[in-house]
Amino acid sequence: MSKISVRNLTKKYGTAIALNNVSLEIESGEFLVLLGPSGCGKTTLLRCLAGLETPDAGEIIMGDTVVFSSEKNIMTPPGKRNLGMVFQSYALWPHMSVRDNVKFGLDVLKTPKPIADERLDEVLGDVGLGHLDQRYPSELSGGQQQRVALARLLATQPPVFLMDEPLSNLDARLRMDMRVELKRFQSEAKATTVYVTHDQTEAMTMSTRVVVMKDGEVQQISPPDQLYRQPENTFVADFVGMPRINLIKLSAEGGHGSVYSNGDIQVDIEWEPGCSEVVVGARPEDITVSQEPSPTAEDYEITAVLPNGPETIIQLTRGQTALITRVGHDTALIDGQTVWVHFKTQALNVYAAETGALISREAVTI
Amino acid sequence: MTDISQISRKGASQFRRAIIDPVNITMLLLLAVLAYLVIWPFVQLLIETLTWGQGDRRISRQAVPGEFTWFHWLQATTGPLSSKMLYGPLVNTLKTGVAATILALVAGGVLAWCVVRSDMPGKRWLQPVLTLPYIVPSFAIALAWETVFRSPKVGGQPGIYEAFLGVAPPEWLSYGAFPISITLAIHYFPFAYLLVAGALATIDSQMEESALISGAGRLMTLRRITFPVVAPAFVAALILTFGKTIGQFALPFLLGAPTQFHTVATMVYANLTLGLDSLAFVLAIVLIGMSLISIYLSNRFVGNKSRRFETISGKGFRSRVIALGGWRWPIFLAVAFFAFMVGIVPLILLAVQSVMLIDGFYGLENLTPHFWTGRSNPEIAFGEPGVLHNNIILGATWNTLKLAFISAIIASVIGLVIAYITVRRAHNPLARALDQIAFIPFLFPTIAFGAMYLTLFAEPVGPIPALYGTFALLVLISVVSRLPYSVKTGVTAITQIGQELEEAAELAGASWTMRFRRIIMPLASSGVLSGMMVSFVGVMRELSLIILLITPSTRVLMTVGFGYAEEGLAQLSNALVLIVAVLTIIGELILMWIGKGKMARLREKQS
Repeated sequence: MSKISVRNLTKKYGTAIALNNVSLEIESGEFLVLLGPSGCGKTTLLRCLAGLETPDAGEIIMGDTVVFSSEKNIMTPPGKRNLGMVFQSYALWPHMSVRDNVKFGLDVLKTPKPIADERLDEVLGDVGLGHLDQRYPSELSGGQQQRVALARLLATQPPVFLMDEPLSNLDARLRMDMRVELKRFQSEAKATTVYVTHDQTEAMTMSTRVVVMKDGEVQQISPPDQLYRQPENTFVADFVGMPRINLIKLSAEGGHGSVYSNGDIQVDIEWEPGCSEVVVGARPEDITVSQEPSPTAEDYEITAVLPNGPETIIQLTRGQTALITRVGHDTALIDGQTVWVHFKTQALNVYAAETGALISREAVTI
Repeated sequence: MTDISQISRKGASQFRRAIIDPVNITMLLLLAVLAYLVIWPFVQLLIETLTWGQGDRRISRQAVPGEFTWFHWLQATTGPLSSKMLYGPLVNTLKTGVAATILALVAGGVLAWCVVRSDMPGKRWLQPVLTLPYIVPSFAIALAWETVFRSPKVGGQPGIYEAFLGVAPPEWLSYGAFPISITLAIHYFPFAYLLVAGALATIDSQMEESALISGAGRLMTLRRITFPVVAPAFVAALILTFGKTIGQFALPFLLGAPTQFHTVATMVYANLTLGLDSLAFVLAIVLIGMSLISIYLSNRFVGNKSRRFETISGKGFRSRVIALGGWRWPIFLAVAFFAFMVGIVPLILLAVQSVMLIDGFYGLENLTPHFWTGRSNPEIAFGEPGVLHNNIILGATWNTLKLAFISAIIASVIGLVIAYITVRRAHNPLARALDQIAFIPFLFPTIAFGAMYLTLFAEPVGPIPALYGTFALLVLISVVSRLPYSVKTGVTAITQIGQELEEAAELAGASWTMRFRRIIMPLASSGVLSGMMVSFVGVMRELSLIILLITPSTRVLMTVGFGYAEEGLAQLSNALVLIVAVLTIIGELILMWIGKGKMARLREKQS
């Protein structure tokens, strides 16, 4: 219904490049998350979609309409793009009651009063604010303000939702509840949603696909599980996942083969990437430890044990190389102990050390 | 090839988009109008001094009206009259300005320290009384001075001094540099006080405390920490106060003209009444030059643009207070006495003077309500009826309120629009130009600004009619002269409104006018309202700005009061000035009340 295409979008502020030739296809009804560190251009991209920023080059198509094109000189103003947005600060109008805040969009559309009232009651009831509609934003809690912003978005039933870190001002518990609710409203409305966040848990739990950005460029576009299992470069691998992935720089012994080492440790990845210098990415859960000596495993010293609720994070050291792994909360491992380490070879990702790009196993073995 | 055509096509369409943007249209319109109302008058004034006028044929045979000449500048700088016309008044201006500034700053600085940094009791009610002399029209203080020190040598009845002591006061005490400096200082010390108090309040006590902890003594802390932090603001206050004193017209005129003591500002007026227009304009330009230099210097001392000028006062300050110990009450008494003498006594003097049948006789049998409630009596005051029956005064009161009200509203709305453009289009060089043009009236001494409008609107130019003598011209000049302040207030208000609030409305499809009406205006209203009140009070007590533009049909209270003072009808002029003083004080009280309401709402929100 409302597919969004972004083609070769570029936006500069003076000499700083905020978006560099970004292209994206967003399917109708999709929940797309833009993820990245601050300054990566994700908010700029969202604001370009909203029409609040004018890109320098490229094209944006929503549904069947071109809303921005530098070549065809099209720049549809935000109000005509038929979309709704939730701002990071919520941007509630402090001088209007909750009801008037939500009603504003309907006023602009000149909705007849009876229809507008009916719609307002419905939306306010949906978000659970029916009894607070005469309050002013300053009289509401953070979570309630968030709901007003959501109701304001829902009131006019736009086919496209844009959200700019909407949950970042809430405390951790509330954030969790709101995630579920946001997701519910989105799927009920079947709205194409673009959601900006720097919180990877939000990205992983809510999205159908995640776009990871860095320095104004798209690094990877994948469904969340693939993003986690198969990061396409070392930046994404490092950015996604908590605790962080182990990125170990290794060299092939003799320049090729499947066995790599760095003087401290040795890893047999069991296939040949055809590259003498690699970075091996091993998630903490891809490393298993055993207290029993094994001829195929190397011995490490435990240098830190960090209990973290359901799991315990263990730091392992061999020479100058340190690894992180996670074990159950009931572990008996203690600081200073010696353990033997196995890598789950199938789960490891291998990156070319020079470019940081993933070396595809299929491509090499074929 | 295609690239170039695409670029130009793109440029053309962007241009088309830009010119139909209502904000851009408003911006260009305001730029054009303000250029005409602010920059062009100055150019016109300059041209006027460099060309022969119609009246110049009386003065010089070579005069060819409309032709270029250095005559007026030469006449002012090297002619036989130059010492009387320019150099004498210039020296007088500098003398009284410097003396008044130093006195005002010493008084203002000491008081600011007492109020902000010491534990002196009674601060809460002393502060408003201390600002009274700046709130009432400057010439109220001059009239009060005259009431006490008037000397029959110059004409009229003796003042209180002579009536009680039996000896005429020495002339230097009645008229000239001394009384002008003192009264200017009384009028301007609250201004210096507010600037210095603001600077003192910005000192974080922690800065001083950390110096103390590092082992510095109190004196060293004062010398190395406190003074350097306050110094730029102090110097800026010095220069700004000086810049304000030199533009003062009514006060030096009342206390100087009787003994032919002239400042540049009074000379502008005197020359215009003599018909020496071009010479008056030369002096107006000299005055503008002095003002420009002082403001340029003050800006060099205070790099921070936001402190360029103080508009809304009455802010509560808090920082670590210093215990005065045994000196607490003596200092309080001294400050309270001072506040009483400069804030309250002048108003009492005016009130008493306005109910005396014959000036200068102090006794109960001489008291009369005639000047307030009496009807025309040919034996008293040339038959001028009392305030309540005097059609001139009633008309002037109505004009005053109308002028202040209309100007305040227009200035605030335009100020808000300009502020909106400068804040939201900060990257646009035209928006910055607009901001700067709106600030320029601040640089013109008000009497010089009045002189400019006199030259500009004396005759019709193109579609613009000759506005001289109309009420509209008074509104126009009042609005333009208030713009620097109202833009500043507007900028403060707009900056507090997050851009997202507007973007949210934009996304909902609201047009710019709808956004301005439904989002910006209501949110900026409380700030703009207090700015409006400041303008209302400011316009009401304004004299030197409009004195040159007033005609009998457009009289306001201040000019009528000035007229009576010139004619020697002390009771009536006192009564009028008292009315203005009371009106301005009421305005200030409303302002404080608005401010308090705002604070209360803020507190409510935080809890």
